[in-house]
Amino acid sequence: MVIKTKKILVPLDGSKNSIRGLDMAIHLARQSQGVIVALSIKSVPGIYAIHPLGFLDFNTSKEMKKTLDDAKLRAAKKGIKLISKSLSGDPGYDIARFVNNKRNGIDLVVIGARGRSSAKELFLGSVSNYVLHKSKKPVLVVK
Amino acid sequence: MTNNFKTILVPVDGSRCSKKALQRAIEIAHAFDSKIILLYVAEKSSINLLDRKEYMGMLRKFGKKTLDDAKLRAAKKGITAKSFLKEGRNIVSEIEKIAKSEKCDLVIVGNKGLGAITGFFLGSVSNKLAQHSNCSLLIIK
Repeated sequence: MVIKTKKILVPLDGSKNSIRGLDMAIHLARQSQGVIVALSIKSVPGIYAIHPLGFLDFNTSKEMKKTLDDAKLRAAKKGIKLISKSLSGDPGYDIARFVNNKRNGIDLVVIGARGRSSAKELFLGSVSNYVLHKSKKPVLVVK
Repeated sequence: MTNNFKTILVPVDGSRCSKKALQRAIEIAHAFDSKIILLYVAEKSSINLLDRKEYMGMLRKFGKKTLDDAKLRAAKKGITAKSFLKEGRNIVSEIEKIAKSEKCDLVIVGNKGLGAITGFFLGSVSNKLAQHSNCSLLIIK
């Protein structure tokens, strides 16, 4: 029997936890012959969203591209197809919107318990928490 | 890669969402060849002092029924499940204890249970589990 999770979304922020999430997603995708969608979000503070220069932050763009390329390589090694997407905006909100958009057809979200913001050790990350609450699809939190 | 879903813990409370969670757990157990552990926690509430005994009896009965039901459903799909019936003041800590003692790799819960506001939000138990537990958590919506 094959699990019905064909399309797995993995939000990546370059942290160790998100890589662990990716590994888990790869493991699941191997079982279900699924596709992984890697989503990387460039955090843009609200004010910059309308400011033209807000998008000219080349450093993060480069970093994001590197993260996605690494992810692609990692998945390819295990023979899994990985589609990479990048957006800019508020991470939690945009992940949730991406998941709930029916056109994307996501079946499962795999997310690391914490990302890269501070107060790392103790708590569930703010983004994971937001996605957990807002997503209409199953969420797997990797610890 | 090693199989990292050896044991799956499914806390059930008889709600629709927990049934969905069990369904998903059975699918995963099939695919990964893993064991399922079912758990029902009867909550010792502090409100009803007078008829506590009777109340706990009812809860225990209900829990047993729920567990048997769940076990049957798993057995139909050819998976043998171990079941536990626990009592405690704090549901989340009981779930965590079992997860630790049975060395579970994954906990699967529905996003809301039988709590008061079953409308829009993530249930309190699922939420607390997400915050505190040490193993991975799959939340079924």
